[in-house]
Amino acid sequence: MAEKYAVRNLRLCTKDCLCLYVCPTGASDTENSVIDINTCIGCGDCADACPSGAISMVPKVYPPQQVKTNAVTGTLKSLVKSKSEQESIAAELPGVLAKAVEKSNRIMAEDLLREAGFMLPQSDNTKEFLQSLLTDKHPSDFPTEVVEQLISKLYDTKEDKIMSDNKTHDNLMAGFTGEAEANRKYTAYAKKAEKDGFLNAAKLFRAAADAETLHALKHFEVAGMVGDTASNLKDGIAGETYEYKEMYPPFIETAKAEGNNAAVMTFTFAMKAEEVHARLYEEALDNLEDFEEVFYYLCPTCGNIEKFVPERCSICGVPGDKFIKY
Amino acid sequence: MAKYVCSVCGYIYDEAAGDPQSGVAPGTAWEDLPSDWVCPLCTAEQSEFNKEDSGDSAPAPAKETMPLYEMHDDDMRELSALEVAALCTNLARGCEKQYKPEEEALFRKLADYYKSIAAPQKSADVGQLIALVEKDLTEGFAAANAAAKNDGDRGAQRALVWSEKVTRILKSLLARYQKEGDDMFSNTGVYVCTICGFIYVGNNLPDVCPVCKVPNWKFYKVEGR
Repeated sequence: MAEKYAVRNLRLCTKDCLCLYVCPTGASDTENSVIDINTCIGCGDCADACPSGAISMVPKVYPPQQVKTNAVTGTLKSLVKSKSEQESIAAELPGVLAKAVEKSNRIMAEDLLREAGFMLPQSDNTKEFLQSLLTDKHPSDFPTEVVEQLISKLYDTKEDKIMSDNKTHDNLMAGFTGEAEANRKYTAYAKKAEKDGFLNAAKLFRAAADAETLHALKHFEVAGMVGDTASNLKDGIAGETYEYKEMYPPFIETAKAEGNNAAVMTFTFAMKAEEVHARLYEEALDNLEDFEEVFYYLCPTCGNIEKFVPERCSICGVPGDKFIKY
Repeated sequence: MAKYVCSVCGYIYDEAAGDPQSGVAPGTAWEDLPSDWVCPLCTAEQSEFNKEDSGDSAPAPAKETMPLYEMHDDDMRELSALEVAALCTNLARGCEKQYKPEEEALFRKLADYYKSIAAPQKSADVGQLIALVEKDLTEGFAAANAAAKNDGDRGAQRALVWSEKVTRILKSLLARYQKEGDDMFSNTGVYVCTICGFIYVGNNLPDVCPVCKVPNWKFYKVEGR
């Protein structure tokens, strides 16, 4: 996560696509033309290269807004009152001029309010205003959830934490990836050592693998990446869907082209299993409040998961009695 | 031959050059302009023009000696529902500029709610509008300008210059409307600058907004209702 990230103004973009050639992470190469904020590393190469000036580097944290005196905000708000009154009168009058006057007064009121201490959505003034809406009394149709969503998006999101501590967050996530990888690697080494009869080495690999799991879980948690279970399920759906729809199909094509049949098989098993996982996550999300116990059965060969013991695994054909119950 | 400067957009009427595009021959004196001649750029009336300063004219106007603003009790009063709606659409635009479409949509939802609960005006008429515009021009802007200048608030001064000019154009348009009625829109377009609120009635939309100088593709064409 960088201090700044690139955004593309679609109205200015002329699709000369120099950004695609210079982006080191492929963040600007998306089907909807919105630069992927999660992949963008904030290097600014695309903005420098764009011949149309369509890409800007936007800061993740905005500077505090200008301080306003009471005399300025007071007199501006008096004008806002008058402009809103004019908007409201014009709204009741017929004709094209009245419609223009209504709109014009709204635009002036917006601009005057912006200068009366409400320029930034992230400012303390806006935060206080939104919070006051939650404590005020309102009719039953008041959209409380809209205010709550704004507060959570603007002031206490996971991203905010990331913003305040970019480097450490980056390091935590790098640590998480490294430890997670080490865990799987040591597990593979342990299996090999067991097979070859080096039981002490195998034991050490197993213990070390578990130790790396402890590290990985802690790093991930401290990085603020563990949300509530509903959002974790959504994250699971997104991850699995990406893998089975976008990641594995080209992997399989490449492996076929290179004649690596073992890779074709492991990718295919994984792709099919991820699709099942995504579906099961979706079901679990729909039934999150349903507390009747459910059992899952894992195929130890391909990673397929079923909610019953099948005769044979529908993906890899392993007999059902090999399945592990959860 | 003298020159006269439009105080809204800065257009200069040069008596020597006239304004042939509007049918005013070169050499036409300011006093001899047809009474319906308006600024060809922003449509401000003749009363919005000042004779160009030749260097030996009268000292600066009385604006500088405005008494300092004093706080009133109701300045920090609660905002009305429609004012909250404007606050929310302002914040929505802030989010739009920052490429935050979800937050923008949420602020717009909140603005829609507040607009829906705003009390409608009972007996509205153009006279009420003109009275409020007059009051803004004689009192509201003077007080706010004095406060912004005194406190060195450049941003507030910028917003006030724009909205005061727009308000003066509104005054001209409303006065014309009272005289001419809907005839003034026959075969003309009506446009609003989405940045400053400037209203243009006519068919020669300037390339940039006469008030805030934004390119004219930021204008919104108003259709009748």
